[in-house]
Amino acid sequence: MGDAVAAAPGTGRRDIGAVLWPLAGFALILLVWETAPRLGLVRPTSIPPASAVFGEMAVILRDSDFWQQTASSSGRWVIGFVIAIAIGVPIGIAMGRSRLAYHAIDPLLTVTYPTPKAALILILVLMFGAGNVSRITIIVLGCLIPITVSAYHGASGIEPKLLWSAQAMGLGKVRTLVRVVLPASLPQVLSGLRIGIAISVFALIASELLIRQSGIGAYLFTFYDLGATLKVWATASIIAIIGFLLDSAFVALTRLSFRWLEGEV
Amino acid sequence: MTTTPTSPTSVGLTLVADGVGKTFTSSRRGSVTAIQSIDIAAQPGEFLSIVGPSGCGKSTFLYIVGGFVPATSGQVRIDDKPITGPGLQRGIVFQEFALFPWKTVLGNVVFGLRQAGVPRSERKAKAREFLDLVNLDGIETLYPKELSGGMKQRVAIARTLATDPDILLMDEPFGALDAQTRATLQTELLDIWERTDKTVLFVTHSVEEAIYLSDRVVVLSQRPSTVKEIIDIDLPRPRRREALLAHPDYPVLHRRIWALLHDEVTDG
Repeated sequence: MGDAVAAAPGTGRRDIGAVLWPLAGFALILLVWETAPRLGLVRPTSIPPASAVFGEMAVILRDSDFWQQTASSSGRWVIGFVIAIAIGVPIGIAMGRSRLAYHAIDPLLTVTYPTPKAALILILVLMFGAGNVSRITIIVLGCLIPITVSAYHGASGIEPKLLWSAQAMGLGKVRTLVRVVLPASLPQVLSGLRIGIAISVFALIASELLIRQSGIGAYLFTFYDLGATLKVWATASIIAIIGFLLDSAFVALTRLSFRWLEGEV
Repeated sequence: MTTTPTSPTSVGLTLVADGVGKTFTSSRRGSVTAIQSIDIAAQPGEFLSIVGPSGCGKSTFLYIVGGFVPATSGQVRIDDKPITGPGLQRGIVFQEFALFPWKTVLGNVVFGLRQAGVPRSERKAKAREFLDLVNLDGIETLYPKELSGGMKQRVAIARTLATDPDILLMDEPFGALDAQTRATLQTELLDIWERTDKTVLFVTHSVEEAIYLSDRVVVLSQRPSTVKEIIDIDLPRPRRREALLAHPDYPVLHRRIWALLHDEVTDG
C-alpha cells in the first residue's frame, strides 16, 4: 500500500514493474524446479519436479489425517503464542517505562537471547515428558524474547511530549499507561508479534520433528521415514504456504484494525 | 468550571518565575548550566513572548513552567503556590504537535475532556466547538497522519484549549509551518486569545511574530541564560498585520529586539 501511494503521478509503469518483476522471479524458480529434475541435472528422488509436487499437494490436502494433525499443531501454536504475548508484552512495556524493571530483566534477555532454543527441546522432554507441556513451552521460549524486546523498544521510544501532553491534561500514572503508553507502543508490539509468528511456527515444526508424537511435523517425518520423497516435498510445501498465509493474514488484519498506523508493521 | 470558548473563562492567574535555573548533569560530560536564573512575572491575561538565541534554554524554561522538567534552582509560582508538576491550569502546545496518532481529530480533542470533568454525553459536542474555534470543519474522523502541518497544529491548539487552561504555554508552535499558514494561525491565535482572556507564554525565535502577538517580549541572553531585557509592546489592539507593519513604532521595536539578539549571537 505504501508503495502505491508514494508513487508520483505519471509513474504508473513503476507499479506494473513492481508486480511483474516478482512474478518473473517466481516463474524462473518454478521453471528451474520443473526442468532440472526432468533433464537429469538433479536426482528426481531428491528434488521432484514442481508439477509432481503440486499434484501431490492436492492429494495431501484431501487426507483427513493431515487436517487432524494440522488442527492439533494449530491448537498448541495458538496456546504457546498467546502465552508468549501475555508474558512478553507486559514485561517489555515495564522494561521500557521503569529503569528498575529494565535493570532487573535486561541481563536475563542478553544472556538467553543467543542460546538456540532448539537445544532445549530434549531437556524439556526430560523434565516434562513428550506431551503438550514440552511442546508448548518450546513455542513460548522461541518467540518470547523478540516479543519482549519489541514491546520494550515501543515503550521506551515514546515521544516524551506525548506523555507530557497527557499529563498536562490531568492524566495520572495509571491512565497515562493505559491511554498513552499502550497505544503508543502498539506499532512496535505488532512488529514483534510478526517476528514472533515466524519464529514460533519454526519452533513448533522443529519440536514436532524431534518429538514426533503428533502434529504436522510428525506427519511430515513419517513420510521421510518411509522414503516417500514426493510426499515430504508436498507436505513441507504446504507448511511453507501456511506460514506465508499466516504472516499475510496478520499484516492484513493489523492494517484493517489500526487504520492510524503509519508504514509497514 | 468549563464554559463556552467564546466567553471569558476566568480572571486569570498570576504566573511568577522566581530565579528559575536549570543545570543538566550527565556522567559523561559533567554539568552544563542551560539557564542561570530567569525572573518573569506574567499578569493575568497577558500575552508574553520569550525570544533568545538558539540553545539559550527558552524551551527548557517553558517545560519547567509546564512542570514537565524540574528546575534545579528557584521556583515557579501560580497565584503564590509553587508548582510541583503538570496541571490542568497550564496547557501546552508543542512545535511538533504531539497529537495522539491513534486518535482521530475528534478523539484527540475529546481526550482531555474526561479529566477536565466534562460529562461523557457533552464531550463530543464540546470538542466540535473547539474544532470550530480553530476553523477546522469536516475532518473530525481523520487521523493525524492524514493531516497537513497547519491542520495538525490547529487540532493541537483545539485539544489544549478544550481542557480550559488559564495559562497557555506555546513552544515555537508555528515554527514548523510554512510562512502563509504561520501568518494565518498567528491571526487566529490572537482572535482566540482576545476572546478568552488566557495568559499566554509564547516561545519563538521570530522577532516579527513576538511583536505582532505580544504585550511584552522577554529577551533572553545566551546560555547560561538570564533575562536580558523585557520590552513593552505598546501597539494598539486589536492588531491587524498590515496596520502593525505600517505603525511608526514597529521598526523601532524590531530593530531594538533584533539588536539585543544580535549582540548575543556575535558575543558567542
